[in-house]
Amino acid sequence: MINLVRNEMLKLLRKKRLYVIILIIAFLVPLFTYAQFKEIQDQREKLGNQDWRTTLQQEITDTQNRLSSSRIQDEWRKFLKIRLSQQQYYLENDIDPRAPGAPTFMRIFVENSIDLLLPLLVMVIVADLVSSESSGGTIKLLLTRPVKRWRILLSKYLAMLLSISFIVLSVAVLSYGISGVVFGYGGWNMPLLTGFTVSGEELLTENVHIVPQWQYILMEFGLVWYVCMIVGTLTFMLSVLLRSTAAVMGIMLASLIAGAILANMVSSWESAKYFFMVNLNLTNYVSGMATPIEGMSLGFSMSVLAVWGIAGFIIAFVTFSKRDIY
Amino acid sequence: MKAVLKKYTLTVVSIVSIAATCLWLFGLGWTLQDQFSANEKVSQLKEKTESTSTKKQDDTLTIFALGDSLTRGTGDADGKGYTGYLTERLKEKTDQDISLFNTAIKGETSRGLLKQLQQSEIQRQAKQADVIVMTIGGNDLFQQGAALENLDTNAINGKKQIYLSNVKKIYTQLRELNPEAVIYHVGLYNPFSNMPDSKTTSSIVRDWNFQSAETAAGFDNIVYVPTFDLFQLQVENYLYTDQFHPNTEGYKLIAERVASLINFEQEEKES
Repeated sequence: MINLVRNEMLKLLRKKRLYVIILIIAFLVPLFTYAQFKEIQDQREKLGNQDWRTTLQQEITDTQNRLSSSRIQDEWRKFLKIRLSQQQYYLENDIDPRAPGAPTFMRIFVENSIDLLLPLLVMVIVADLVSSESSGGTIKLLLTRPVKRWRILLSKYLAMLLSISFIVLSVAVLSYGISGVVFGYGGWNMPLLTGFTVSGEELLTENVHIVPQWQYILMEFGLVWYVCMIVGTLTFMLSVLLRSTAAVMGIMLASLIAGAILANMVSSWESAKYFFMVNLNLTNYVSGMATPIEGMSLGFSMSVLAVWGIAGFIIAFVTFSKRDIY
Repeated sequence: MKAVLKKYTLTVVSIVSIAATCLWLFGLGWTLQDQFSANEKVSQLKEKTESTSTKKQDDTLTIFALGDSLTRGTGDADGKGYTGYLTERLKEKTDQDISLFNTAIKGETSRGLLKQLQQSEIQRQAKQADVIVMTIGGNDLFQQGAALENLDTNAINGKKQIYLSNVKKIYTQLRELNPEAVIYHVGLYNPFSNMPDSKTTSSIVRDWNFQSAETAAGFDNIVYVPTFDLFQLQVENYLYTDQFHPNTEGYKLIAERVASLINFEQEEKES
C-alpha cells in the first residue's frame, strides 16, 4: 500500500502542480499584504496616529448610521447588526481583533479564502487525478497489475489527502513568512474571542471565551483543511465518473462559484442550506459572523459537508470497482 | 543524479505532508472540543489597560462630536457636515493638529444619546476631548419632519419636558467625564419657516431653544449656539432637497458660527 501511495505521490510531483500552486500562493500573498498595508496606512492618515479603539469606534458609528437608513436590505442589515454587536463586544473587553502582525494576516487571509480560493487550488490538483488516467489510457496499465482496484483508488485518495495537507501548510507558511516582512512576526499570544452564537438578528455571547491567537489559527486551519478535504473528495468523485478533466473542473468551478453567489441571496430559501457549497464558510462560525441561512451552525455545516463527502467517497469507490474499462 | 534528487524531494514532501495532516487533524479536533463544550465565561479580563489610553494628547486639539444627523452631516454633498467645515476653519486658524471624532448617529434622540454615553469607548473619547460639539433635540421635536403636522401644544410640551430632562442628564454626564472641555451645543433652526404654519412652528422652536439655553446656563462652559437666525430668512437656500437637513451652504454657516466661538489661547491654557 505504502508503495502505491509513493507511486501516486511521485506522479503528482512529476506533474509539477504542487509547485504551480505554491507559486500562485506566493504571488497572491504579497498582493494581499500590500493591500492590507495600504488600508492600515490610509486609516492612520485619516484619523491621525490613533489607537485602535478610536478606529473601531468610528467604524461602529458608521455602521450605526448605515443601519438607521431605511433603504437598507434586510439581509445586509442582519449582517451589519451582528458585526456591530461583535465589534462592540470586542471594544468592551478591550481586545483589538485586528492588531497588525503576521498571525493576524494569516488569520484574515485564511478566513477569506476558505470558501473559494483554497477549494480552487485543491481542485487544480485533484481534478485530473483519475480522469487523466482514463483519458490518457494509462488506466489500463494501472489495472492490469495484480492489485485490487479499490486499493489503487485508495492510494490515489491518500495521495490527494497528503497533497491537500501540503497545500494548506504552504498557505500557512507562505502567508506567515511573507506578510511578516511588513507586519512583523509577533502576535501569537494576542487574545481573541470565540464562541459567539447567532440567533436571528441577535448575537448571543453567553458561550464566548478567550483563546490565544495561535490556538485560534490552528483551529481555523483545521476547519480549512476539513473543507478542502470535502471539496477534494467531491472533485475526486467527479474525476472518477467523468473522463474529461475539463468537465470535472467545469462542474466543480460552477458549483463553487454558485455557492459564493448563493450564500448572498438564499436567506429565504431555507432548504438551500443542504447544498455543500453554501456551507463552506466554516471559519465564520468560529469568528461569529451572520450565517447565510437561519438555523445554520458549525455542527450543522460540518455534518452536511460530512454527508456530501462520505457520499462522494462511496460513489467514487463503487463506480471505480464496478466499471468496465476498455 | 536527477532521479536521486527526485526521490529526495518525494520523501521530504511526503513526510512534511504527513506531519501537516496530523497538525490539521489536531486543529480540527481542537475546534470541535472548543466549540461544542461549555466554556467558562470571559470575566477575568475586566482590568483594562485604560491608564495609558485615557491620557490626553497634548499636541493635538481633539474635537469630539456627538448627536444626530446634523452632526453626522446628512444633506451635505461632501458628507462633511458642520463638524468637517469647522475642522477646516480651525486648521486655517492654527498650526496645531486637529483630530475630529464624530460619533453622531442619524436619527438620534436625546434618549438615544444618553444611552450612547454609557458606552465605555464613548466615555473614553469624551474624556480625551478638548472641545465637544453636539446637536440634539431635532429628532425629539420633529421626528424626521413628520410630527409637526399636528401642532398639539400639550403633546409638544410633554415631549419638551422629556427632552429637557434628558439634556440635563447629558450635560451632567459630559461634565462628569470631562470637566474642562467647552461644550458647544448647536441649537435648533426651523426648517419649516417658509411653510404656512411657520408662526406656530417658529414659536415652538424658539421655545425649545430658549429652554435648552436655560438648561445650558446652569453648567460651566456650556455654550448654546443659536442657529435659528441663520435659517430664518431664505431657508430654502440653505436646505437640502429633503427640506429638513441643511445643505452644504447651511452647514458652512453653522461651522463658521461655531468656529468663531472657539478661542485658541483659552484652549491651550486649559490643556
